[in-house]
Order: sequence, then structure tokens, then C-alpha cells
Amino acid sequence: MIELLGIEEKTYTLNLGPQHPSTHGVLRVILEMDGEFIIKAEPVIGYGHRGHEHMAENRNYMQFLPNLGRLDYLHALAYNQCYCMAVEKLLDITVPERAEFIRVMTSELNRITSHLLWFGAYLMDLGAFTPFLYCFDDREHVLDLLDRITGSRLTYCYYRFGGVPTDIDDDFLAGCRAFVSRLRSRWNDYHNLVTKNVIFIHRTRDVGIITRDQCVKYGITGPNLRGSGIPYDIRKSEPYSAYPWFDFEIPVGTKGDIYDRYVVRLAEMEQSLRIIEQACNKIPDGPIMAEKVPKRIKPPEGEVYQAVETARGSFGMYIVSQGDVKPYRIKLRTPSFANMSFFPEMAVDTLVADLVANLGSIDVVIPEIDR
Amino acid sequence: MLKDNLTTALAPLNLEKVAEGDYAKTGYHLEVAAQPAQMPDVAQTMLAAGCFLESFTAVDLRETFDLVYHFASFDELCRTAVHVPLGKKKGMPTISHIYPGADWYEREVFDLFGIHFFNHPDLKRLLLPEDADFHPLLKDFGASQGND
Repeated sequence: MIELLGIEEKTYTLNLGPQHPSTHGVLRVILEMDGEFIIKAEPVIGYGHRGHEHMAENRNYMQFLPNLGRLDYLHALAYNQCYCMAVEKLLDITVPERAEFIRVMTSELNRITSHLLWFGAYLMDLGAFTPFLYCFDDREHVLDLLDRITGSRLTYCYYRFGGVPTDIDDDFLAGCRAFVSRLRSRWNDYHNLVTKNVIFIHRTRDVGIITRDQCVKYGITGPNLRGSGIPYDIRKSEPYSAYPWFDFEIPVGTKGDIYDRYVVRLAEMEQSLRIIEQACNKIPDGPIMAEKVPKRIKPPEGEVYQAVETARGSFGMYIVSQGDVKPYRIKLRTPSFANMSFFPEMAVDTLVADLVANLGSIDVVIPEIDR
Repeated sequence: MLKDNLTTALAPLNLEKVAEGDYAKTGYHLEVAAQPAQMPDVAQTMLAAGCFLESFTAVDLRETFDLVYHFASFDELCRTAVHVPLGKKKGMPTISHIYPGADWYEREVFDLFGIHFFNHPDLKRLLLPEDADFHPLLKDFGASQGND
């Protein structure tokens, strides 16, 4: 149409990042723009590539353990757990019940910190500053709890092959119970401040819709998938660790837009609280470390694929052992990698103003994509 | 059962191996071995059965490559591992037109192993800089001898 007016139709290139506050790390997106509309988006990744898979091949199994906390630094304990479970499978070790309980509790606490951080950072992307202060206040309490047990506040390296190295105490359990009731008492504030906020609803309803078909084609997992109404959660679909012993639900959305993904993440935190609460009441006494863990980890020849549910979706580790003290090959299947590969399709024909809203809503952690 | 459906659906493709996996040991319900040229058909069958591509990678076995595709399903617990042996300096047909999610996985394998994918829409380095002249996950890549 525009040609009729004698105006030449032109597109231009807009460069977003790699240093941009709303790309949550070093991500660059090359945008082909037609006015305010995006006609092509090409993410450029790899700025944070440290070669973790390569590192895995030239150190022994134990030495690779700390690397797992540096992939998805927001839900590091789930990554720890995946690696430990994969190696335990290769070595055929059974983890004591108490250790499984401790793993689930700490991993769920970690999931809450991750979702809380997403909540604050995402709303900040949308221009709301206050929720960030609310959720960091709550998050601080979990970090203190995890700090007591694991010795670190972010890049955890807490689980060991066969169990956990340090036991939890009554103070930790009391702290968990206090935190559960604290966060529950805060839900009202969160919902009044954000969930029912008319600006937020208009900004996110019917924006960035993900369909079931797209999830299958791109391998999208986590809250992004569940927001589209598919109840796929590794904790239920492929039960591991102590999860089968707990009563919890998998929240799902209906439309698959940003708002649904937001609601799913908030509802998931409540489910995590339920798991922690049950674990506090049911935790058995007993050893925290399996008895027959060899000093020198040298799994027999074979391969294993282990998946866990992290805050961002299905994280899988594919380990090939050739009977050596070093892994022959480790592939890290990170959820954000698959979720991010969908982004170009998601961004096409949207307004540039929605770009940040869309990008934030799939909750990517860049070091996990780059590995 | 998805596992039985997949076994039936894969039968006409005359694959080298379609066998039940040892889930407790490897995490696979179904183990498949295919030749490179058969991979697009396998992918098409997996997509028709509603499976998603969970992961794709390569393993450098020194004389050959072993390409490993993992498929899983949102509806039922059933993981399929497809192993494809590939000679060194040989190319592989892409499956990115079937699973668009495979686009990045194939670029990553091209980047880190130097394996070429035929008919890939945009085969270029993904994680390493554009001007890198090495493929770090090859076993004869210098630094992988490393000190420990």
C-alpha cells in the first residue's frame, strides 16, 4: 500500500545487546525491523561459552561437580542433582532416604529463589520497580537457609555421589517452616500488587502465545510448556529422587500467553512450599551417605541419560563412560537452549516494545545456553 | 503404549536395530540404530507419534562419529535414543525442516565437531566466534590432552 504514496518501503537493522539490561546476561539479538514491527530476529549466543563439555572430558568425575553450579546459576542444585543421579546410575548406588529428602528440600528452596528472581527481574523489565524489592526481601531468607547448609549462596556444589556431605539440623527445619508461612502470608501482597494489576494484565494477556505444536517442534519445556496447558513436569512424568512420596500438583495455563506463564510460575512456588512443608514433617532419620561409594569413581563402560526438572524446564545429562576415571563425553541438554531457539519464531511480527516482554517471559539464563 | 506404537511405526524403515532399552540402567525405553540417510524418515516418524527432540549431540569415537538423538514425549514416559554412526569427513542430512528445534543443535554439533549437515538453512558457528578455526570436542583437539 505504501508504494502508492510514492514512499519507498525500507527495513532497517536494530542491534539489541550484547550489553543490554533486559537481556539478562550477554545475549545479542539482531533485529530486522519494518517500522515498529520485527520481521526477523536472530539471537547471537556464545559470549559466555566456557566449554563445560570440553572441561568434562579432561577431569575426573568428582572434579567436574563444581561446574554444574555454574551453568544455571539460579537453580544450581537441580543441576547438581542431575549429575549425581546420573553417576549414581552408572555406579549402581542407592541413595539413603534421608539424603533424598534433603536433596528435594534444598532443590525446591532453590527453585523458589529462582522463580522469585524471575518475578522481580521480569517486572523490572516491564517497568515496575517495587516487586523487585518485595521478592528480594523474601529471597534473602531462603539464601540464608541454604547458606547455613551448603556454605554458599549462589553457585552451590552441595550434593555428592551417594548422598549429601553435611546433615541438616533442627534450626534448618524450623527456618524452613518459618519461611513457608512467611511466603504464604506474602501471596496476597504479590497478587494485589501484580497479578491483579490492570497495566500488567494488558501488557501480558494474549502476548507471546506458545502453542502445543511449537512446543513439540522446538522441545520447549518447563513453565513455558505448562503455560500452554501441557502438564509435563519431570518430577511427575518421570519421577526421581523423593518426589513420588510427596503430594503436589502441576499447575498449567490455558492460553499459553505471558500471563499464563506468570501464573504457572507463581503457582509452582506454592507447590514447592507444599513439598518443603511435607518434607519437614516426614523426614526420616538415618544415614545421609550411601555406604559403598568408591573413593575412586570409575564407572563401567556404558551410557546414561538422566533428566531433572529445573526452574526453566527439562535439564538432561548424557554421559558416555568408557570405563575410565574421566567421562568420555558429557552432553548438557539445557532447557533454556531449546526455549531460546524458539525465540526467533516468537518474535516475528511483534512490536519492538513487546520484545523485552517476550524475551523475559521465557526466563532464559544465558550461561546455561552458552555452557 | 507409545513404545509399541513407535516400534510398529519404525518397522517399515528397515532400521539396523529397534530394541527395548534397559530403562533402569540407561534411561532409555527404546534403542534405535539407523544409517545417516534414514534419519529424516526416523525424525518424521517420531514427530508423527508426537515426540519432541529432547537432545542431539555427537560423540567422537576417534575412527567414527556416533550421533545421538534423544526423543521423548509430553504425554507418556518413553525415551528413544537413536544412534547414527557417521564416518569422519562425511556429512549428515539435516532434520531441521522436520524439527525446527534441531536447527541450533545441528549448528552446535557443526561448531564443536565440524560435522556438516546437508540442506541446513543457515549452517554457521553457534557458540564459538565466527573466525574460530578449530573444533574443540574432537578428541585430537590439542587442549583435550590437558593436564589433570
